[in-house]
Amino acid sequence: MKTNKIGSKKKRLPNPKRVFLYFLLILFVFLTLLPLWSAVMTALKTQEALIYSNPIQPPIKPSLDAFGTAFNELRRPILNSLMFTILATLLSCVLGSMTGYALTKVKFRGANTIFLFIIIGIFIPYQAVLIPLVQIIIELGLWGEISGLILTHTAYGIPICTLLFKSFYDSIPDSLINAAKIDGAGIGNTYLHVVLPLSVTPFVVTAVLQFTQIWNDLLFGLVLTGAGASQPASVALLNLQGGFVTAWNVQMAGTLWYTIPSLIVYLVLGKYLIKGFMTGAIKG
Amino acid sequence: MVSIKKIITRDKISTILFLIIPIVLVIIFIYICIIWNVVVSFSDWDGLRPSYDFKGFGQYQKLFTNEIFLTSLWNNIVLILIFVPGSLVMGLLLAILLDQKVRKENVFKLIYLLPFTLSFVVTGFLWRWMYNVRVGVLNTLLESIGLGFFRNDWIQNVDWAMFWVCVVLIWQYSGYMMLIFLAGIRSIPESQVMAAAVDGASGFQMYYRIIIPQLKAPIFTGFVLLLVFALKAFDLIFILTGGGPGYTTEILPLTMYKEVFRKKHFSYGSAIATILFLLIMIVVIPYLYKTYRREK
Repeated sequence: MKTNKIGSKKKRLPNPKRVFLYFLLILFVFLTLLPLWSAVMTALKTQEALIYSNPIQPPIKPSLDAFGTAFNELRRPILNSLMFTILATLLSCVLGSMTGYALTKVKFRGANTIFLFIIIGIFIPYQAVLIPLVQIIIELGLWGEISGLILTHTAYGIPICTLLFKSFYDSIPDSLINAAKIDGAGIGNTYLHVVLPLSVTPFVVTAVLQFTQIWNDLLFGLVLTGAGASQPASVALLNLQGGFVTAWNVQMAGTLWYTIPSLIVYLVLGKYLIKGFMTGAIKG
Repeated sequence: MVSIKKIITRDKISTILFLIIPIVLVIIFIYICIIWNVVVSFSDWDGLRPSYDFKGFGQYQKLFTNEIFLTSLWNNIVLILIFVPGSLVMGLLLAILLDQKVRKENVFKLIYLLPFTLSFVVTGFLWRWMYNVRVGVLNTLLESIGLGFFRNDWIQNVDWAMFWVCVVLIWQYSGYMMLIFLAGIRSIPESQVMAAAVDGASGFQMYYRIIIPQLKAPIFTGFVLLLVFALKAFDLIFILTGGGPGYTTEILPLTMYKEVFRKKHFSYGSAIATILFLLIMIVVIPYLYKTYRREK
C-alpha cells in the first residue's frame, strides 16, 4: 500500500506558524492531562491541606494517607477485578481466535452470515439484554460470584474478539493452510501447528483491548454482584464516598488506584491497544 | 487409506467443534436475551412472579405519554447533536495538527489517546471533581488566574448540565477520533498531495480541498461509532450527574436502569431497552451492510 506522510512532502510552515502549532499542541496536552494532574495533587493532600489549597497546586507536605485509606477499602475489589478481567480476557481471546480461524480458513458456505450474526453483538446496548442476563446468572447460581462475571464478560467479548482475529487471519495466505492440508493435517492440527504460532500479535492486540474493556466495565459489576464480596473495583469506587461530605482526597486516591492497572497496560502495550482500537474501532 | 469422504466428515466435525461454544454463547447471551427482553416488554412482569400476563403494547403506550421517558429521549438527541460533531471536529483538528511533521509525534498521540483508555468510572469521578462548584478544579483555577467571573455551576446548572456532560465525553473521545482520522490522512496517495502542492495549494486549501474530502470513509466510521456510543452512554452519566439536576441529563440507558433496578418496573424498563435496541439497529445494520458490501 502506498502511504505517505503529507507533512514531510510539504515545505515546513514558517516559524511563527510552527510556534503557534506547538502552542496549540501543548495547550491540548494541558487540557488532556489537567483532570489527572489535579487528581494526583488532590490525592497527595490531607483533608485539611485540601481546604486551604488550590486543587492543582502540588501539596506543601505530600501525604500518602489518602492512598492508604483508599487502598484498604479497595484491596479486595481490585483483586476481584484482576481475577475476572484476566480470566475472561484469556477465555474470550481463545474463543475469538478459534472462531476467527474457522470463519476464515475453513471454507464453508454461510461463514460470512455466521460472522455477521456474531459481530452484531459488538453494537448491542447492554440494557437490551440486562434483565434476561440477570435472570440467567441467578438461575445458574452465579449471581454475586466472580465466575458469573467471567462468564458474562467472556460471552460478550466473543463478538469483538472474533472481529479482531478474523481481520488478522484474513491476511494469512491460504497457501499456508493448503500446504498443511496436503500434508494431511486436519482442521484442528492446522490450527494448532500453523495458525496458532502465527497468532502472537493478534493475541496481544486482542488481549490488551479486552483487558481494558473488561477492567473498565461498570454496568455488569453493578447488576451481577451487588454489595457482596465479589464486587469489582469499579463498583467499590462508588461506595468509597461514605458519609455526608465526599472526602475528595480519598476519592481521587481510589480512582487512581483503580486506574493504575489499565494505565500500566496502556503505557507498556499502547502500540497494540492502538492497533486494537483501529481494527475494532469500537468501544461499548 | 483415508477416503475423501472420511476427511470431509472429519473436517465438518472439527469445524463444528471450533464454533459450537462461541455460537452457543452468542445465541444465549445475545439473541435469546434480546428476544426475552422483548417478550418481557409485552407483559406485566414485575420480576417476582414466575408467570407473565401478556398486555400487548401497553408498556409502549405508557412510554410515549410518560414525561420522564420523553425527556430522556430528547436529552439523548441533544447529547448526539453536541457530542458527535464536537468529537469529530476535535478529532480532525488534533489529526491535522499532528500531521505537520511534529517532533515527538508519538508522545503527543499517546497523551491525546489516554482519556479514551480510561474507564468511564474514572472519567466520571475526575470530572465531578473538576466541576465541583465550591472547591473544584475549574472554579478555583479560574479564580486564581483572575477569571473569577467565569465561575460556573457547571453540571449543576439546569440549562447547561448536558453541555458540560458532552464536554467530558468530547474530552474522552477526541483522541480516538484523532487516531481514525490520522490513519485516513496517512493513507491518501501522495501523488494527489504532490499535485496539489505543485498547483500552489496553501496548507489550508490543501486540507479543505484535497484531504478532508477524501476522509469520507473515516468520517462515516467515526460518525457511526459516536452515534452508537451516544445512545449507549451509561457509566459516565451515572457517575457524573446521575441524570440530574432533575432529569436534565437523564438519557435512555439511565432511565432504563433506574426503572428496573431501583423501581423494579421490569416490563416498563424492558420496553425502554427495546426502543434503545431498535434505535441502535437503525444505525448499525446499514453500516454493517455497507461495510460488508465494500469488503466484497
